Amino acid sequence: MLDRESTFADPEIVSSLKNDFVPVAIDQAYQRRQKDTEGEFYRGIVQQSPRKDFGDGTTQGLYTASPDGTFLGFSNNRGPERIQAMLKKALADFRPVDSEPVTATQTDARFHPELPFGGLVIRVRAKVLGGYEETDDPWQRIFQSAVSRDNLWLTAAEHRELIQGTIPDRVKTRISRYHLVDNTRGEPPMWQADEVRSMRLEIEPAEPDSQSRTIVGDFHLETLDGARGFTGTIRGVLEHDGQHVTRCDFVAKGEFRGEGRFTGHAPAGRFPFAVSFELADQSDIADQIPPQASRGWIDGYWRVAE
Amino acid sequence: MKVCRLRLCILPFLLLCLSAVTAQENQSSRHDPPGLDQAEFERLHAELQPDQAQPWRTIPWKISLLDAQRLAAEQKKPLFIWAMDGHPLGCT
Repeated sequence: MLDRESTFADPEIVSSLKNDFVPVAIDQAYQRRQKDTEGEFYRGIVQQSPRKDFGDGTTQGLYTASPDGTFLGFSNNRGPERIQAMLKKALADFRPVDSEPVTATQTDARFHPELPFGGLVIRVRAKVLGGYEETDDPWQRIFQSAVSRDNLWLTAAEHRELIQGTIPDRVKTRISRYHLVDNTRGEPPMWQADEVRSMRLEIEPAEPDSQSRTIVGDFHLETLDGARGFTGTIRGVLEHDGQHVTRCDFVAKGEFRGEGRFTGHAPAGRFPFAVSFELADQSDIADQIPPQASRGWIDGYWRVAE
Repeated sequence: MKVCRLRLCILPFLLLCLSAVTAQENQSSRHDPPGLDQAEFERLHAELQPDQAQPWRTIPWKISLLDAQRLAAEQKKPLFIWAMDGHPLGCT
């Protein structure tokens, strides 16, 4: 979030990344654990950097490297001036020699989840609609206006059930536990099963001669100690052509309260909060990113309601 | 006896009122969930759309490190790796 509005809002950095580098964005929680070719290549770069003693900890940051895996530079600072300097140094140190493409001889399946054939990707975005105190802190201002992004995945069977006019219980549970979360300021805590106090989500019968159906619902999520909660209503539209869902847009809106370990500085008390859902069309590269809640545990993501 | 007769008169009236309220509630829950009607849904859905003109969106990000490595080797360019906790194009 912060990088997008600072480092990657700088025209000089954007121009250099477009023209002089091959830019790649990764969730390093995957690559630093992957027991496969990609994981080895990534750790090989990190081990030459100031992050070399990462152990079980994070390797978060910005890296530059040659295609052969030779480390060129590192920064975990978001100031554009520092990143400009890092890019210039990397280009000065880089020797454009022939490098062999790295071929994956091993793939760690735990960290390469794939959307099942016939499944659906639904874009999920969230925003705090109000309640923040005014701040002079530019970083906090970025968080305060942030719109988050994640993906909801549905199986082919769940896709078919939507066309038939029903939302499976496991989908309702997956949405409530993993996607009605406040991830606008960082990685959010997901809801535990016993924190879903209620979740109603239905597709109303179609009006005559209409392929458009209304999605309605309401929900109450709350931690056992009451410190964090989200209560609200859902409304949206589902359309299909008999074979495929062609539109699946809905919004959950209500009152949120509380924060998580990595989502501090939430507004005090209850605040208005909304989560939108939109059928992805694969026009955005972020449509290919697995759901945050599936990280290293895709089976658990699918089986959430069992 | 007068009290009983009065009750008999009032009871159907109360039942009529109750059924009218219930019908109204059913109508309301079917078409307009409290706090989120069709117009509000449309407005919020639009409000939560990302700004496609944001500079970071114009950068041709790869999401596979090995795909990026192969392209970098082919084009003889260095790699730039944006590595975060949570996917940088997603939640962080």
